[in-house]
Amino acid sequence: MVIYERPKVRRSGGYVIHVELCNEISLDCNKLVHALYYKVLETVKEGSVRGIEEVVPAYSSLSIFYDPRQASWRRIAELIESLWSEARATDVSKILKPRRFRIPVVYGGEYGPDLPSVAEHAKLDPDEVVRIHTSRTYVCYMLGFTPGFVYLGDVDERIATPRLPSPRTRVAPGSVGIAGRQTGIYGVESPGGWRLIGRTPLKTFDPRRDPPTPIRPGDLVEFYRIEPEEFEKLRGVYLGEVIQ
Amino acid sequence: MSFVEVVSCGIASVQDLGRRGYRALGVPVSGAMDRLAAAYANALVGNDPREAVIEVIGSGIELMFFSSAIVAVTGAKCVVELDGAEVREWQPIRARAGSRLRVSPPMHGFVTYIAVSGGIDVEPVLGSRATYARAGFGGFEGRYLRSGDRLPLKPIDIDSTWRRVSGMIAPDYVRLARAPLGVVELRVTKGVNSDLFEDIDSMLRATYTVSPQSDRMGYRLEGPKLESATKLGRLPSLPVDRGYVQVPPSGLPIVLMSDSQTTGGYAVALHVLPPDVDKLAQCPPGTQVRFVEVDYEEAEKAVRRYLEDLEKPELVSVEEESEYAYYVS
Repeated sequence: MVIYERPKVRRSGGYVIHVELCNEISLDCNKLVHALYYKVLETVKEGSVRGIEEVVPAYSSLSIFYDPRQASWRRIAELIESLWSEARATDVSKILKPRRFRIPVVYGGEYGPDLPSVAEHAKLDPDEVVRIHTSRTYVCYMLGFTPGFVYLGDVDERIATPRLPSPRTRVAPGSVGIAGRQTGIYGVESPGGWRLIGRTPLKTFDPRRDPPTPIRPGDLVEFYRIEPEEFEKLRGVYLGEVIQ
Repeated sequence: MSFVEVVSCGIASVQDLGRRGYRALGVPVSGAMDRLAAAYANALVGNDPREAVIEVIGSGIELMFFSSAIVAVTGAKCVVELDGAEVREWQPIRARAGSRLRVSPPMHGFVTYIAVSGGIDVEPVLGSRATYARAGFGGFEGRYLRSGDRLPLKPIDIDSTWRRVSGMIAPDYVRLARAPLGVVELRVTKGVNSDLFEDIDSMLRATYTVSPQSDRMGYRLEGPKLESATKLGRLPSLPVDRGYVQVPPSGLPIVLMSDSQTTGGYAVALHVLPPDVDKLAQCPPGTQVRFVEVDYEEAEKAVRRYLEDLEKPELVSVEEESEYAYYVS
């Protein structure tokens, strides 16, 4: 069992409580992180605990940022313990109400310059790589690093490919990449070391909207293949507007 | 609409106290590198501490006003001139339409703030006016400032504001903390992965030097390598924040600053307390720093005090404040 017997609760800096549930990337553990995350948010909304300012989930842990003038870390730690026990005892799919997104992607060519190297690594035909990539429903493990970057898993082992030996300095927003058993979507232009296999014309992140992305931790994502002509038609359309 | 024009500038951007509530979606907090100096700049011109100000890093700026305004310069020690006459930092100054304000590169410290009465009136993005230039949003057109930029100002009753703030100054302890001398001590607690480093105590004995490869995202430190880090590699990404001290396999620490990414895969050894991140922001490359561990209770106490200061920066009248303290640096 990768999930710890008890969550590891650590204090940091006088305003952070970090809760680690396991120390690896595993779907079961990540689901529990999300269940705990949404339970904490619910408790904050109900107003039964004061001083929690922000909750940030990641792969195997989450952090609670609190105002030490209003909140007692001990009270938050106790809350976490009890919410964790609840989450552990219930079917997490009842707590998570994941939404499903279907995302159009142009694979290969200028849209996915690393499709050939992924195919080569997999010893498969590029079309076969695309077929495998589009045949799964992925879970959003987390969003992070850069605004709206969506970490999805798990990629079929046959097409899992390590990162590029040295990262690109510029990756276009909407690029879809593979890194090990993770696949992901770049929300904004940024440097990046993932193998780019395609690109969606949809805008997955828009800071002028609130929330800036419709995808939340725990949501489900599927990809489907489109042709370059369709890319122009859909370019810049906000993901939240075409899919609900 | 009134505005202020950037005549020339170095590394300057519009910042406030940061963008909260969107880290779960990967949106960094950003905001001022030295938050308390930004809050005080606002207080000195009668603004709410959360208003947007101009931040200038390791360089100077010249501004021209198109209407009368109250201005305050805080942060690093610089030479400040209004229409050619030297004026003091940490005090409100009155500019007229056509006035030019020139702020020199820092002589001591590293980051300077310029607040204008009313505040810089750029469109808030996700609840904040802070620039996040890496992703091109917030602040003025999502980017660093250039000469010719005209920053809109919120309208304000200058005369009544002037009566309120004229003759006020920021207290000694705030100003002096921004002119670091000698080896700068940064208070820390253990970080969330500290138990992964068996030789972490060596970090508390070491003296580090701020590397020139430092920016709004993080300050790299040069010094003795942490041996245990070389064996660690990457962890599953975890939430990180301003002040987290990551140690990548190189063994050399990186202190995350205001443009910190939201998550990171390097182990976090220590956590610099928020008021001391302000202090570190003021350390130009080459400054020597060391970490001093405090317990969690002391850390909470320091954070409480800091949050009070940020929300209600207290000004004192110039007569009450010692002249000596100001000129000691």
